[in-house]
Amino acid sequence: MAPFAILFAFVFILPIGWAVYSSFFRQIAEGGGAYGGGKLVNKFVGLQNFQYAITSADFWTGVGHVLVYTVIQVPVMIIAALALAMVVDSFVVKHVTGFRLGYFLPYAIPGVVASIIWVYLYNGQISPIVKGLAAIGINVDFFADNVVLLSMANITTWTFTGYNMLIFLAALQAIPHDLYEAARIDGANGWQIAMKIKLPNVRGAALLAMLLSIVGTIQLFNEPQIMATADPGISKSYTPMMMALNTSQGTLTPSGDGPASAIAIVMALIAGVLAMLYTLAERKVNE
Amino acid sequence: MIRNRLITGLAAVAALGMGLAGCGTEGTSNNTASNTATSSNEVVNITYMHRLPDKAGMTLVNDIVAEWNKANPNIQVTATKFDGKASEMIKKLETDVKAGTAPDLAQVGYAELPEVFTKGLLQDVSAEASKYQSHFAAGPYSLMQVDGKTFGLPQDTGPLVYFYNKAEFEKLGITVPKTQSELIETAKKAAAAGKYIMSYQPDEAGNMISGLAGASGGWYTVKDNAWVVNTETAGSKAVADVYQQLIDAKAVTTNPRWDTSFDATLQDGSLIGTVAAAWEAPLFLDSSGGTGAGQWQVTQLGDWFGNSGKTSPDGGSGVAVLQTSKHPAEAMKFLDWFNTQVEGLVSQGLVVAATTEDAKTPKDWADFFGGQDIMAEFKTANGNMGDFTYMPGFSAVAAAMNTTAAKAADGSGKVSDIFSEAQKTSVETLKNLNLSVAQ
Repeated sequence: MAPFAILFAFVFILPIGWAVYSSFFRQIAEGGGAYGGGKLVNKFVGLQNFQYAITSADFWTGVGHVLVYTVIQVPVMIIAALALAMVVDSFVVKHVTGFRLGYFLPYAIPGVVASIIWVYLYNGQISPIVKGLAAIGINVDFFADNVVLLSMANITTWTFTGYNMLIFLAALQAIPHDLYEAARIDGANGWQIAMKIKLPNVRGAALLAMLLSIVGTIQLFNEPQIMATADPGISKSYTPMMMALNTSQGTLTPSGDGPASAIAIVMALIAGVLAMLYTLAERKVNE
Repeated sequence: MIRNRLITGLAAVAALGMGLAGCGTEGTSNNTASNTATSSNEVVNITYMHRLPDKAGMTLVNDIVAEWNKANPNIQVTATKFDGKASEMIKKLETDVKAGTAPDLAQVGYAELPEVFTKGLLQDVSAEASKYQSHFAAGPYSLMQVDGKTFGLPQDTGPLVYFYNKAEFEKLGITVPKTQSELIETAKKAAAAGKYIMSYQPDEAGNMISGLAGASGGWYTVKDNAWVVNTETAGSKAVADVYQQLIDAKAVTTNPRWDTSFDATLQDGSLIGTVAAAWEAPLFLDSSGGTGAGQWQVTQLGDWFGNSGKTSPDGGSGVAVLQTSKHPAEAMKFLDWFNTQVEGLVSQGLVVAATTEDAKTPKDWADFFGGQDIMAEFKTANGNMGDFTYMPGFSAVAAAMNTTAAKAADGSGKVSDIFSEAQKTSVETLKNLNLSVAQ
C-alpha cells in the first residue's frame, strides 16, 4: 500500500492540490509605471481567475468546438467500430487475426504522428487526396473554417475506430454460441441473429466505449495543436486544453499559471458533469 | 465497473489539465557558482543557456566556449542548449529564477526582453554593458535596453530584406519593384504567368507584419510612465493596403511560412520572391530543397510602404544577465567575447550584431544566392533599420495577430483587422499585467 500511496500522492494529489492553490493567484506588476518596476508579484485574487474563465467568450467558443466535435465524432466512430466488429465476428470473414490487427494498427501510431501525417494529406499543395478530388472536379479545402473541425474528427476516428472495435469484438466473442444455434433452429437468419442477439449483448461494451470516447474528445488537443502549423487560423484558444497551455505560456492574456489552472479546473468540472449525466442516463436506460 | 471507469476517466481529464499547470519545478542544478567574493585566482563558474541551432557542420557553441575556457582559467563557462520554443524557455527561466537555479546568461529575443524584464528575471548591467557598447551596432544594442537600463548584449539581428529569383525575374521581363504601384503591378504581371513575387505569411504576421509596419514608426511609446498604444499607424495602414490589394488580385501566396506548403511553392518554382528576415537565409536553403540554387539574390526592400524603403527588425536575439547571477561582471566579460566571435556565430546561421569585424558569407549561402556577398547586403539593411520598442507581453499580441491574419488569407477577414486586433490585445495585455495605459 505504501508505494502506491506515495506515488498516488506525488503524481496525483499533489499536482491537483497545487493547481487548485495556484488558481487563486495571478501574476501582476505592482511597481506602477510602464514596466511595473521590473517585478511581478503573485497576488491572491480569490475567484477572479474562475470568473475570467467562466465569462471568457474564447473559453466557451472552445467548449463549443469540443462539444460539436464530440457530438459528431463519437457516434460515427462507435457505429463504425460496432459494424466492423460485427463483420469480423460473423462467419463471413476468414482470417480474423489479420483483420483484427489491420483495423487496430492505426492506434499503434501516436496521436501526434497521426496528425502530422494527416496534415500532409490535407495540404492543398502536396496532398494526393486533394489533387485527386480536384481532378474529378471536386475542390475541397480541408482547412476551411467550417471544415477544419471535421478534418480533426477524421483523424481521431481513423486512430480510435480499431481500438473500439477490439472492445466490441471481445464482448461479441464472450456471447455463448449456444444462443446462435438455438436461434438458427428457430429459423433466424444471420441478420436477425446480429440484431436480436449480438447487439443487445454488447450494449455494456458500447456504453463503456462511448464514455471513454467522450472523456477523450473533451480533451481535444493533439489534432488542433498540430494542424495549427498548417492553418494559423486555428487560434491559441481553439479548445479549452490549448487555451490552458497557451495561457500558462503567455501567448494568451491574462497569462500565467493562475488563469491556466482555473481554465483546467473548470474544464475538468465540465467533463465530470458530462460523464456523470451520461452515466445517469445510461442507468435509466438499463432499468 | 462503469463507475470505476468513470472515476478513472475524470481523473485523466483532471490530471491532464493540472499537469499543464503544475509542471515546471524541475531545474538544472548547473549553477555551481560560489557565493563568496572572488579574489583573482578563484575560479568563477558561469552558466549560459541558448537556443542556437548547433547543427552538424556548424561551429558548435561548446567548441567556441571551450576556446574561452582554455584562455580564461578563472572564468569557466558551461553552455547548455535549450531544446524548445522561446515561450517555453521563458517559462523555464521564470521557474528557475524562483528556485534559484537559473543560469547566469540566457538568450532572450528582442521582442521578449520587456516581458522578461517585467517578470523580474533580469539584472541591470548598464555600467558593465557600456564598456562594450562600441563593439555592437547601435540599433540592436538599444533593443537590449528597457526603461533606460541595459540588461545584456545583442547577438544577432533580423532586418527584413527581399529575396528574389533573378533568373525567373529576367525570364518574365520584370525587375525588383521600386515603388508601391510598381510592386502591385509587377505582382499581377507575374501572377498572370503563374509566378508570385510576394508571400503573405499568416503565421509570421506577429513578427513580419509588425516589422514592416514598425519600420515607418513605432507602436508603443511611454509617456508619463504610461503606455501609449497605437498599432493603427500610417505605416500599418500602408502595409494593410498593399497586402490587401495583392490578396484581392490573387497575386500573392498565402501559405504559412512554417508549413510544408510554403516549401512546396519554393520547390515547384512558383514563389520567386518574398520579404524575409535576414536570419532566414540558411533556412530558405533548406525550404527550397535546392530549387533555383544560384539564381536567388538578396536586395533591400523597395519603397513599398510609404517609408522610402526603411526596414525593421523581425526577430533577432541578445543574451541577458539573469537576476540571480552572482557574477554579472565576469558573465558580461565572457558575453562580450562570445557575441563578437563573428565566424563561429555566422556558422550558426546568425547575422551578427557585432561590428568588430565584417562577417564573411559562408560558401553554401553564397552558392545559393548566386555568389552574392549577402552578409554585406544584410549589413546595409542593419544600417537602414528603424527602432521599434516592444511592450511587455508582446507574445500574446503576436499570437492574436497571426490568427487574424489567417482570416484575411482565406477571405473571411481583412488585412487591416490584424492591426485593430493588435490594438485591442495590446491594451488588454497591459491592463492584465496591471501596467498603466494612457487613454
